[in-house]
Amino acid sequence: MISLLRLEQVTVKYGVIPAVQELSLEVCEGQIVALLGANGAGKTTTLKTVVGVLRPAHGRILYDGRDITTLPAPQRVRMGICLVPEGRGIFNRLTVRENLLLGAYHRRDQGEVLRDLEEVYRLFPRLKERENQIAGTLSGGEQQMLAIGRGLMSRPKLMLLDEPSLGLAPLIVRELYALIQSIREKGVTILLVEQSAPMAIGVADYVYVLETGIVKISGTPKEVESLEEVKKVYLGG
Amino acid sequence: MKRELWFLIGGLILFGALFVAERTLNRYILHILVLMGIYSIATVSLNLTNGYTGLFSLGHAAFMAIGAYTSTLLTFPVPLREAYELPRLPWFLGGPDAAWPFFPALLVGGALASCAALLVGAPVLRLRGHYLSVASLGFMVIVVTFAKTLKSVTRGPMGISAIPLYTNLYWTFLWLLITVYVVWRIVNSRFGRAMMAIRDDETAAQVLGIYPMKYKLFSFAVGAFFAGVAGGLYAHFTKAIRPFEFSFAMTFQIVVMLIVGGMGTMSGPIVGATLLLALRYALKPLEEHLKLYGFIELVYALLLIVVMLWKPEGLMGRKKIALRRRKEERAWVEFSTPR
Amino acid sequence: MFSLSYFLQQSMNGVILGCIYALLALGMTVVYGILRLINFAHGALITLGAFCMYFVFFRLGLPFIASMFLVLGFGGLMGLVLDFVAYRKLRGGPEVALLITSLGFYTFIENLTKLLVSPQPYAFKTPAFLATLYRTPFLTFRTIDVFIILSSLAIMFSFHLFVRRTKMGIAMRATSENLEIANLMGIEVNRVISVAFVLGSAIAAFTGFLWGAKYGQISYDMGFLTGVKAFVAVVVGGVGSIPGAMLGGFVLGLAEILSIAFLPTRFAEYRDGIVFAILILVLLVRPSGIMGMREEVRV
Repeated sequence: MISLLRLEQVTVKYGVIPAVQELSLEVCEGQIVALLGANGAGKTTTLKTVVGVLRPAHGRILYDGRDITTLPAPQRVRMGICLVPEGRGIFNRLTVRENLLLGAYHRRDQGEVLRDLEEVYRLFPRLKERENQIAGTLSGGEQQMLAIGRGLMSRPKLMLLDEPSLGLAPLIVRELYALIQSIREKGVTILLVEQSAPMAIGVADYVYVLETGIVKISGTPKEVESLEEVKKVYLGG
Repeated sequence: MKRELWFLIGGLILFGALFVAERTLNRYILHILVLMGIYSIATVSLNLTNGYTGLFSLGHAAFMAIGAYTSTLLTFPVPLREAYELPRLPWFLGGPDAAWPFFPALLVGGALASCAALLVGAPVLRLRGHYLSVASLGFMVIVVTFAKTLKSVTRGPMGISAIPLYTNLYWTFLWLLITVYVVWRIVNSRFGRAMMAIRDDETAAQVLGIYPMKYKLFSFAVGAFFAGVAGGLYAHFTKAIRPFEFSFAMTFQIVVMLIVGGMGTMSGPIVGATLLLALRYALKPLEEHLKLYGFIELVYALLLIVVMLWKPEGLMGRKKIALRRRKEERAWVEFSTPR
Repeated sequence: MFSLSYFLQQSMNGVILGCIYALLALGMTVVYGILRLINFAHGALITLGAFCMYFVFFRLGLPFIASMFLVLGFGGLMGLVLDFVAYRKLRGGPEVALLITSLGFYTFIENLTKLLVSPQPYAFKTPAFLATLYRTPFLTFRTIDVFIILSSLAIMFSFHLFVRRTKMGIAMRATSENLEIANLMGIEVNRVISVAFVLGSAIAAFTGFLWGAKYGQISYDMGFLTGVKAFVAVVVGGVGSIPGAMLGGFVLGLAEILSIAFLPTRFAEYRDGIVFAILILVLLVRPSGIMGMREEVRV
C-alpha cells in the first residue's frame, strides 16, 4: 500500500499549551482512516494541521511523498487536500451553487468544474433542487451534504471529514456513511474524525484513538473493537 | 495604605520641584509645562477607556469642550458678561450676579462631561467596540455643531475670549495628581480587574459573571469627567476657546500621545503627552518659519503609524501585555482570523 | 415655499449626495466585512481623487475620459499601497490596531496634501460640457447632476455584477462571511483583501472628482467628514451587506438634504449634527441596520 499522508512526531501548541503531542499517523491511498477521541483530544487540531490552518511546533507532515509542513493552506488545497470542517462551515449568505463553486476555487478548468458540479448534483439531487437558495436556509442534513459536495468540487485526493455526523438524525447519519463509502470507491482517501465511534469503526480500514493529544490506541477495526477500554468508553459498553 | 503614603511623598516632591521651576524657568517653558500637565490629564483619562477597558473612543475632544465651555460660563466675570454677550447665570446656579470660583466650576464641567458620556454610552456601549469609535466621533461633531450654533450661550464660531486666567502650574499638577491617583486606584481594584477582563475577552468575562455594560459605562464616564476637567483647565489657561479647537485634530493628538506612550500602562500616557508636546514645540519654529502648515500633524501621524507597525505596545508598554499579546499567541496560525 | 418643485429639487440633491455616500459606503462595507476595519483612510482617497482630477484635467489639460481613468487608477494604486504598507502587517492582530493605523494614514495623507498643495481650498470648476443648465417646470439641473447619477448607478451595477457573477466576487463575499473557511477553500485571502482595497479606493477617488464637480470646491480636509458619514451609511444600511450600504447611502443623503430643506433656515448649520444624530438613533433602535444581519460574536 502506498502512503498518502504521514504525520511524523507532530506537536501542535496553542500558545504554550500543547494540543497534540508527538503524534504519528499514516493514511494509505484509498483507505478510510478513523480518528477517534473525546472532546479536546486534539482531533480537530490534527485535521487543521494537516490542511495547513495550524502550524506544528515540531514534526513533519508528508503528503504524496512531499514534505508539506510549511506550505500554506491554499497551496495544500491545490495539491488535493480538502477539509470538510466541523459544524459544516458553509457560507450561509451565499447560494448553494456559489458554495459549490467556491469548492473549486483554485481550479482553472472551467468546463471540468461545471461537469463536476453536475456530478455533485447527481449525487445530491436535493442540492440541485435548491441550487439558487441561500445556503443558510438548508436543513442540517442538507448543509452537511453541501459541505461534502463542496469538498468534492475541489477534486480531492485526500478528504478530511471533521465530525460529519454531529447534530444529524440517525437515519441521515446512516445515509451519510453510505455516501462516505461511495466517495472512497471513487478513489478518494478519507481521514474521518468522529466522537461517536460505532459508525466510524464500521467503515474504517484503520483506527487511531486519541486521548489528550496522544495516540492511545491504534489498529485495525477488529483489533480496536475487541479492546475492553474502547468498548467501555466509545462503544457504549 | 503604604502605597498612598508614597503617593503623598511623591506629590510633595513634585510640588517642591514645581515651586523651584516656577522661580527659575522662563515663561515660555512654564507655559509648555502647564500644557504638558493638561494634556497628560486628558491622555491618562483616555487611557482608562481606551487602554484599560478596550473601548476605542474618539470623542475625547468633545468631553473637553463640554468641560471648557461649562467652566468658562460659570466663572466668567459678571461685569464683562454684557460686553461679551454671554448670558448671566440662572437662579439655580447662583443668580445673575454670581460667578463661580474655579474649583467647583471645574467639577461641574467634569460632571456634565460625565453625564454626556452616560447619555452617548448607554446606546453605543452595548454594541461591538467599533461602533463606539464612530459614534463618539459623531458625538464630537454634534458637540462642535452645538458650540457653533448656540450663539446666545457660546457666542458661536468666534468663541469666547477674556476668560479669567486661573490655571497655573499648581492647579494643573494637582489635578494631574488626582487623575493619576483615581485611575490608579480604579485599575488596581476589583473594578479595574473586571475592566481588563472585558478588554481581553468580553465573552470570557461575561462567563465569569461580569456584566460588561456596567464597567464600560463607568470607565467611559470617569474618563469623560477628567477630560472635562482638562478642558476647563485648558480654557482658563489659554483664556480663549473656539468651537473648532475641540475637533478631530485634538482627539487625534491625544490618541497619538496615548499610543506612543503605551496604552494600558500607568506611565505611558504621561510620557507620551510630555514627549509629543516637547516635539510639537521643537518643531513649531520650523513650521512657522518655512510655512509648512500641517508639518507637525504629519510628524504625529507618521509617529503613530511607525509605533503601530513596529512597537504597538508603545514606549512604556511591555510586549506581552499590550496590543501584541494576541498576535503572539496566534503566531502559529498561518492566517489567523482577524475577528 | 414648500412647493412640489422645491420638494423635487431637494430630493434630487438628496439623491445626488446619496449617490456619493453610496459609492463610498460600497468600498467601506466590503473592507469592514472582511477585516472588521473602519477604514478612515478611505476618506483620504476622496481628497486625493479630487486633487488628482484637478491636476491632470485642469492643470495638465488631459482629455476628460483619460483623466477619469487616471483618477480611478491612481485611487486603486493608493489602495494597494496602503494595503501592502500597513494593513497586511497588522493582519491577525487586534482589530483596534487596524483602526488606529487607518486613522494615522488618514491624518498623514490629509496633512501631506495640506503641506504640498495648499491649506486653502481650491475652486473646482465643473468641466464645461457638464455645466449646461436645463430648466423644466419642476426641476432645474445641470449635466453634472445627470452624470453623477448615471455614473454612480453604472458603478453600483457593475459592482453588483462583479460580486454576484465573478469568481473573485463570490470569493469576496465568502471571505467576508467567514475568513477561516474561505482560507480552507483555497482562496488566497490576502489577494481578495487587496482586490477589495483597490476597488474601494478607486471608487472613492472617483467620488472625490464627483464631489468637486458638484460642489465646486475641494480642500485638504474634504474627505474626513464625508468618509465618516459614508461609514454611518454603512451602519444605517446594515454592516457587511452590500445592497445595504447602497441603500444606507441614499437614506443618509436624502435625510441630510431633506432635513435641512424642510427645517427652518437657522437649523441649516446643524446639518452634520443631524447625520450623527441619525447614527445614534439607528444604533439605539436597530443596531444591525436596515438590511443587516445580527453580527455574531464568535467565541
